[in-house]
Amino acid sequence: MLSTSTSKTLLKAEALGLDYPIRLYPHHGLRDTFVQLAKAPFDYLTRGQEVLPVIRQVSLELKTGDRLGLLGVNGAGKTTLCRILCGMLKPGKGKLTTHGHVEAIFDTSNGIMPELTGRENAELLVALLGSAGFTPAIVEEALAFSELGVFLDAPFKTYSKGMQARLALSLISATTSDVLILDEVFDGADLFFREKIALRMRQKIERSGAVIFVSHGPEQVLDLCNRVIVMDKGTITFDGAPAAGIDFYRKNSGTLVSH
Amino acid sequence: MIVLTWAALKSRYRKTFAGFLWVLLNPLIMFSVQAMVFKQFLRINVPNFYVFLLSGLIPWIFLVQTVQMSTPTLVSNAGLMKSFRFHPIVLVGSVVLDNFVNFILSLLILAIPTMLASEVPLERLLYLPLCLLPFLLGTVAISAFTALFNVFFRDTNFVLGFSFAVLFYLTPVFYPLEFIPAHLHWVVDCNPFYQLLRPFQVAITGADLSLFWSVWWRALAWSSGMAIVSVWYWRRKQNAVYFHL
Repeated sequence: MLSTSTSKTLLKAEALGLDYPIRLYPHHGLRDTFVQLAKAPFDYLTRGQEVLPVIRQVSLELKTGDRLGLLGVNGAGKTTLCRILCGMLKPGKGKLTTHGHVEAIFDTSNGIMPELTGRENAELLVALLGSAGFTPAIVEEALAFSELGVFLDAPFKTYSKGMQARLALSLISATTSDVLILDEVFDGADLFFREKIALRMRQKIERSGAVIFVSHGPEQVLDLCNRVIVMDKGTITFDGAPAAGIDFYRKNSGTLVSH
Repeated sequence: MIVLTWAALKSRYRKTFAGFLWVLLNPLIMFSVQAMVFKQFLRINVPNFYVFLLSGLIPWIFLVQTVQMSTPTLVSNAGLMKSFRFHPIVLVGSVVLDNFVNFILSLLILAIPTMLASEVPLERLLYLPLCLLPFLLGTVAISAFTALFNVFFRDTNFVLGFSFAVLFYLTPVFYPLEFIPAHLHWVVDCNPFYQLLRPFQVAITGADLSLFWSVWWRALAWSSGMAIVSVWYWRRKQNAVYFHL
């Protein structure tokens, strides 16, 4: 780990675990439940809860200055882990302690009210996230940063994927959060904006805080991160320097990694 | 939440012609028709019947509309819920607040002239803020519960629509409590919707105001109970909600 000894712990996860109950899935209405119950009442009532462990024994410490890249094949548990770390999901096992505000974004294409303009959606998003210290000046700065110009006053639903990404990323990177989780949200934005936002993130992290990037592109991770974690089948299989981490990921994930 | 509500209002009325008028029209028509049917056709003999009807009907419409509008919010905002981290109560709260604005406006616009035309003193309206406390708490609790329930059972709103239609006849809104024989009082005693809107009826048209506090405490007890159940349900189902969306 490259974090210095003077840095502060922002987030600490100890032996986190989460099971996904398989039985949750099949029925989607009272009727289905009733049909199942009527068909095989004994089976239905006695069938145990089948679970699929999606996160297993994950321990992780995040300190100020960490730019953590999270690598792993589809279904390795990256997003689920991020959802636990930001408080969206409760861990089934283990303990999670956070010092400071954790903000996360998993998808940039969801406007809050697509009918409203980009600017109005930005204001809504800020209100929704409820981050303290989000002054109108900061919002204005974020909007200027997005370079959307006149499009800011066009309805959000008319935006292209990249424009949506620009808006959401500009805002989320302007928050005063201590930990920021970005789950594969760079894909929509163009190269120029990606570079621009990467620089902004770096400046922000240097001031305080940490970032977790989930990405499938090793180049991006190499470019942005100073620490890499590789996940496989719900556990952490590597934690260390970026170059070594990417190497490990390529070797151990075999043909699944392609770009 | 206030910002979200404001935006919902703006989004809703941006493309409509008459805007707020439509919202006022619904309770107005419901009230006029029921007032005519029950007072003129069926000749229900209740002092100040129009005021009595309003004091129950407008809260009832708000409650039913809010719950039915809240129920699909978590499912219809699934993308948003999975994109950012925020408490889903914000979504339900903004629906409640949105309807609440309409509710207060339509109540005042309809009640003031009707009260002026009757023997009921306008001062009774001063009780409104007190009535609102358990009423709003209860509405939020029920709406949050049905919105969560709808994540797992997507047919919740159909069942609700039917249940409300049935419950309307079992709830003393267009007839007073006194019409119900004593041995059937349990039917309304365990009707949470009636318990929530009873303070309005007693405060605005009740002959005996000394009843108000006992009715109010009962409404508060019901709404607190429902709030506790909703919080418990959310804590139990939080992960399942995100898995299902």
